[in-house]
Amino acid sequence: MTKATLAAACILILSFAIPSYGAQRKELDVPEQPGYVPTAEEEMLPAELRPQPVFFRTQEPPGTIIIHTAERFLYHVQGNDRAIRYGVGVGRIGFEWQGIHKISRKQEWPDWRPPPEMIERQPYLPRFMAGGPGNPLGARALYLGETIYRIHGTNQPKTIGYAMSSGCFRMINPDVISLYEKVPVGTRVIVRQTPKL
Amino acid sequence: METSHARIVAIITFLTMILTSLGTINVVKAGTLDEIRARGHLICGVNVGLLGFADQKEGKWEGFDVDFCRAVAVAVFGEDERVEYLPLSAEERFDALRDGKVDLLSRNSTWTLSRETRYGLTFAGVSYYDGQGFMVPRSSNLLSSLELGGNNVCVLKGTTSEANLPDYFVENNMKYETVALSTSTEAVAAYENEECQVITSDMSQLYAWRLQLSEPSEQVILPDAISKEPLGPVVRQDDPAWATFVKWVLFALINAEEMGISSDTIGEALVSNKPAIRRFLGIEGELGSDLGTANDWTVQVIKIVGNYGEIFDRNLGDGSSLGIARGMNQLWNLGGILYAPPYR
Repeated sequence: MTKATLAAACILILSFAIPSYGAQRKELDVPEQPGYVPTAEEEMLPAELRPQPVFFRTQEPPGTIIIHTAERFLYHVQGNDRAIRYGVGVGRIGFEWQGIHKISRKQEWPDWRPPPEMIERQPYLPRFMAGGPGNPLGARALYLGETIYRIHGTNQPKTIGYAMSSGCFRMINPDVISLYEKVPVGTRVIVRQTPKL
Repeated sequence: METSHARIVAIITFLTMILTSLGTINVVKAGTLDEIRARGHLICGVNVGLLGFADQKEGKWEGFDVDFCRAVAVAVFGEDERVEYLPLSAEERFDALRDGKVDLLSRNSTWTLSRETRYGLTFAGVSYYDGQGFMVPRSSNLLSSLELGGNNVCVLKGTTSEANLPDYFVENNMKYETVALSTSTEAVAAYENEECQVITSDMSQLYAWRLQLSEPSEQVILPDAISKEPLGPVVRQDDPAWATFVKWVLFALINAEEMGISSDTIGEALVSNKPAIRRFLGIEGELGSDLGTANDWTVQVIKIVGNYGEIFDRNLGDGSSLGIARGMNQLWNLGGILYAPPYR
């Protein structure tokens, strides 16, 4: 598979989602909607998922990105025990991972190439979709090291706060655009999971 | 020789007196845990009514502090119904505990030196790190309380919050004007009418006030705490064994979250092969029995009440109307300062 098809695999959406740690986020049943352009109202997330400064104590230097998969939050470390917190959508069950990577590449309005497995399941999907509004990868993509994982935008704001991707982290387009401007290539990204029983 | 002999006799007599008096105390006062068992229920002192912490809904107590009472009751009896809640005002709470009207005070009380020494009390730990904070309109785009210079600040008259303001603003070379109000209602109204651009109080209070505003989601509570208000459960100093018991109920709730054991995952945890988890759930070792209760008490607590994170989310966090961020109250390894000693 090429890098592009792997990237596309990241946005696979199945018809289930695990409830969050707090168990307050319910199940979600949404197929991907290529071509769908979200309205500004849809991109008004619930208050707790919007970007906001929070208390965050860490040994990591300012600029680092820390993603708490179980919380569905991405923290951009600011120093002085503070971080800007964003709501994200995360990998569904079986697609969780953790580790430390550096942002290896940044891409505005990435193209989308659904992989063959996905086409097989959903033959109605386009074979290729150029980057732009309505593209499921959204407005920006931050590539994580040599992995197939990305932090990217989305054309489905209602998926923020849920676990349904294939390991990628999705943000609403205004948030990913804002983060994209703040983080250079080489930024450390730490992904954390819940402890294993 | 004679004098030293007399001295020895005097010392022995004195020691005997001390031992006797200690014995008397022990006889008169059975351990709190035994008293609770004999009585058949725990008596827990709570707030008369504070959203998120202790509140009556359809005659049933609920809240963060109430859930701690329930956890202690489960630790003793294996059931959470065996609690008598005694609502206590701010003035009467410590006297009530000292005088033995309650076994445990779980009532958003700040841990300070004088509260332990003056009343002979012991804080069993910190269950909620509160502190004075600031709320501003989201449209102000402020990120830090160090950016608050040049604003009018609404604050309740005669509170520590008011007293802390000059300290903080002068120290950080910021100009400000105080708008002092007598009641919460007036303070919220003044902020809503834009008589001030900033409103300050303890953060938990700010979250409750935010719900009274016309557009709660358009308000931001800045992450900085400018004072320390560590809240926690309190017991009397006269029964260290009971203090230990209460302390380890709190630590167990925090440790459970750190290990990933919740009311959802308890079934999976019970078949885990990790030694720390097996020890925690009483499958191995006798830690529960050593504490003076059922060896698997933690299993019941997690099943019935949940771990710290679940209690927080349900009463104060995303699962509640308050929507308080975990912030300082997040686990130590996830960016907060919650840290419990190991259960071993």
